Amino acid sequence: MINPANGMISTSSSSANAQSPGLKTYFKTPEGRYKLHYEKTHPSGLLHYAHGKTVTQLISRISQRHQHQRPHLQGFSASSGVRSAAARLLGAGNGGRALGFGGGNGGSKSLSGSSRIGSLGASSSSSSMTNTNFDGKGTYLIFNVGDAIFISDLNSQDKDPIKSIHFSNSNPVCHAFDQDAKDGHDLLIGLNSGDVYSVSLRQQLQDVGKKLLGAQHYNKDGSVNNGRCTSIAWVPGGDGAFVVAHADGNLYVYEKASLKYEEKYFILTFISHGDICDDMLALNILQSKDGAGDSSFPVIKDQTQFSVAHARYSKSNPIARWHICQGSINSIAFSSDGTYLATIGRDGYLRVFDYSKEQLICGGKSYYGALLCCAWSMDGKYILTGGEDDLVQVWSMEDRKVVAWGEGHNSWVSGVAFDSYFSSPNSDGTGETVIYRFGSVGQDTRLLLWDLEMDEIVVPLRRGPPGGSPTFSTGSQSSHWDNVCPVGTLQPAPSMRDVPKLSPLVAHRVHTEPLSGLIFTQESVLTVCREGHIKIWMRPGVAENQSGNSETVLLSTSSKEKPLLSSKVGSSSYRQ
Amino acid sequence: MGAAGSKLEKALGDQFPEGERYFGLENFGNTCYCNSVLQALYFCVPFREQLLEYYSNNKNVGDAEENLLTCLADLFTQMLASTVEVVSKHFRVARACGLVETLVGNSILYSNDVIMFRLPIENGDTISGELEACFAFGKVEDAHEFLNFLLNELVDILEKEAQAAKSDPETSSPPEKIANGPKNGHANGVRKEPLVTWVHKNFQGILTNETRCLRCETVTARDETFFDLSLDIEQNSSITSCLKNFSSTETLNAEDKFFCDKCCSLQEAQKRMKIKKPPHILVIHLKRFKYIEQLGRYKKLSYRVVFPLELKLSNTMEDSDIEYSLFAVVVHVGSGPNHGHYVSLVKSHNHWLFFDDENVEMIDESAVQTFFGSAQEYSSNTDHGYILFYESISASSKS
Repeated sequence: MINPANGMISTSSSSANAQSPGLKTYFKTPEGRYKLHYEKTHPSGLLHYAHGKTVTQLISRISQRHQHQRPHLQGFSASSGVRSAAARLLGAGNGGRALGFGGGNGGSKSLSGSSRIGSLGASSSSSSMTNTNFDGKGTYLIFNVGDAIFISDLNSQDKDPIKSIHFSNSNPVCHAFDQDAKDGHDLLIGLNSGDVYSVSLRQQLQDVGKKLLGAQHYNKDGSVNNGRCTSIAWVPGGDGAFVVAHADGNLYVYEKASLKYEEKYFILTFISHGDICDDMLALNILQSKDGAGDSSFPVIKDQTQFSVAHARYSKSNPIARWHICQGSINSIAFSSDGTYLATIGRDGYLRVFDYSKEQLICGGKSYYGALLCCAWSMDGKYILTGGEDDLVQVWSMEDRKVVAWGEGHNSWVSGVAFDSYFSSPNSDGTGETVIYRFGSVGQDTRLLLWDLEMDEIVVPLRRGPPGGSPTFSTGSQSSHWDNVCPVGTLQPAPSMRDVPKLSPLVAHRVHTEPLSGLIFTQESVLTVCREGHIKIWMRPGVAENQSGNSETVLLSTSSKEKPLLSSKVGSSSYRQ
Repeated sequence: MGAAGSKLEKALGDQFPEGERYFGLENFGNTCYCNSVLQALYFCVPFREQLLEYYSNNKNVGDAEENLLTCLADLFTQMLASTVEVVSKHFRVARACGLVETLVGNSILYSNDVIMFRLPIENGDTISGELEACFAFGKVEDAHEFLNFLLNELVDILEKEAQAAKSDPETSSPPEKIANGPKNGHANGVRKEPLVTWVHKNFQGILTNETRCLRCETVTARDETFFDLSLDIEQNSSITSCLKNFSSTETLNAEDKFFCDKCCSLQEAQKRMKIKKPPHILVIHLKRFKYIEQLGRYKKLSYRVVFPLELKLSNTMEDSDIEYSLFAVVVHVGSGPNHGHYVSLVKSHNHWLFFDDENVEMIDESAVQTFFGSAQEYSSNTDHGYILFYESISASSKS
């Protein structure tokens, strides 16, 4: 999998666990060994020189129409297509693809295309890769690398994806799947250019081509916002509504498009690209033929302030713009019940909004540097963030402050997630202790697992005279620790000595490239590196042959784990 | 040549910062390492301002012989003065480049017969023998060595001038003015008292080297000053992590025991480095050139070392966590230590600029991450951040 130079051919179907030297195929935890089970990758051997963070998502129950078959293995349903495994990838980077950056603040794009910066452009694959092992059932992984979206069958030992969708105009950088989507459009894809598509995943999988089919196109050519998409999410229970975050600090709310809208979206092509800033653009767009739509949003007066603007006409889409921060919004996450929306970004702030009230509830700054990832606990009590200070931060919604810093990564933290399937095996019987298990991955190529036992970290460790009463000290730097701060205020960066520290249970080097994300499933932990290689680590005690057959109802990452929430959190606080 | 202004002016439009101009510096044959460092220093605003202030205060004092300080000040003056619309652009650029040439030609790069002054120099055409001796140490092609040399040379010059002013109390300019800073011990006449120059005020920090004897538990602390921190690097790590390793506790044992004054013998000991006084301008040098014994030569480490745009030093002895903001990066381009190229990234008025000798381009902030290094050993990306310049943004650290 190492491709030192452009143009090397990747033999992605080589032996299963042959990995770079020094990488073990298991790691130990207090509850047992996690073993490397499968790997997933993609046919592009080229280093896509990843700014494009690979976002991976787990998908199950693509549609309600079950066929009572399940794909244990590759061969089972291979009859549906002809696999052309040869000629996978040709030749050197043509430099044609823009890199993942560009756009950015203020719409300045001046350097993309410079020979120096752009010297590592990725190539688009010209191979034919048209196999559909899709039978509508099972669990699938969807991930983006370079100019493509790939879909792999989670429970197949085949490393290669069963489907790839290539984008010719810009790279896909984020996506979101909603298994409950009613009208069939269940997959959202955000592009580097700011464009957004919604499609039916089933429709894509049933086709053998490499093009996106039947897509609804929003923000065409960046007409509403030409900043790169950074994160995209369905609104839980939002009846097809979704939100898209952009690199310029704006977030747009879209409602499910009816056909009427669809017409309109294809009209948005006349916008000139120029040196006009985003806000100017927003003023000039969306004159639909029937004259009804004008989703112009006012110019943002103060870039540093949160503001929400609604479209003037209710029928226009996007229906609202939230200006959240200066600089990029790097990630967003809804709490599982959809009440709250968390955003993190370049300015280092975590912000938590009441989504329906469009109101800032709380938030705070990283120790230093940008935040890169965030995730909710299933019960909505905690938010994890990770960022450029190498820390995993635990934010308490109850206290509206940081309650712990996880120290252990040797580089930036690029992915965080709670393990909602975890139940503590070694409760000591001394009392009810709620243990939250979570994981983090970083640019140090490592996966870290952590246990958060709230009893242990209730009182912040402090320096200073023990006889003193720091809890009620006034005017000190740390006084904000002792009060729940009022609604709607953002906390400054805490001081190093004020925040209790956590140490990881396990730190394991899992890939050779910086990691970009992780997913917990009932049976495994998935780690993803920025080159788009995925490893599936089976939990201790899960028989290897079991996974292929089990009736897993795996849930997609962000929003759909609610049903498990109550049972899982409950069971993690058990007494022996 | 350096007239990148016009293109940038177009790119920036109304946002072009008033009173700022961006000039590339011509490469007169292998001088890119100078150019990259000079750009970083020029955009180190407190350094630039204090250099120019000192220069204007002392211009007419004494003989004003040509030295590194005057050359640098002349260069910065020209780069700055080019905003004034009285001189034609070509002439301005020529002047700026000519002055670089002077600086460089006089000092380090050329054996004296290569390129000398193309433009007439006002104040004499030779450099002092003393300076010549300083420069005689040979060809320096490492940007970090050049920076080090430059700062130390400036300090030497300032100290000599302060000395001269002190020994000659009739001089019109008071010593405070020469030091351009706080009163610093010259009053008591103790010769050995180190002068705190504006170079020190900007760049100097103090490290404490603490050694704890494991037998008697006595802690020996020794302070040392620094202008930059040289950090060992690891693959796929961050500056934060490298700084942590820099300050981590090291056990001295076996061959490497510590002589404890109290025990009067060699003992096992624990050693660690802490930052006692963080500098206002934090310069971090990544040790990318490593001597490999098996090879008998230096090798470039292309490791991916991420550096955040904001940084805090948590390994300090002070209570407050001082926050720094990245404003310049000197980048080494190339796969080996003996060849390659230097460029620099500079943040000015909230825009990032890319300086490659005489070329200047504007880049997006997110492009900075293309200079982190390579996650794999072999990569076609050979542009690696080499020297990082952070400026303190905490008000408290300015004391």
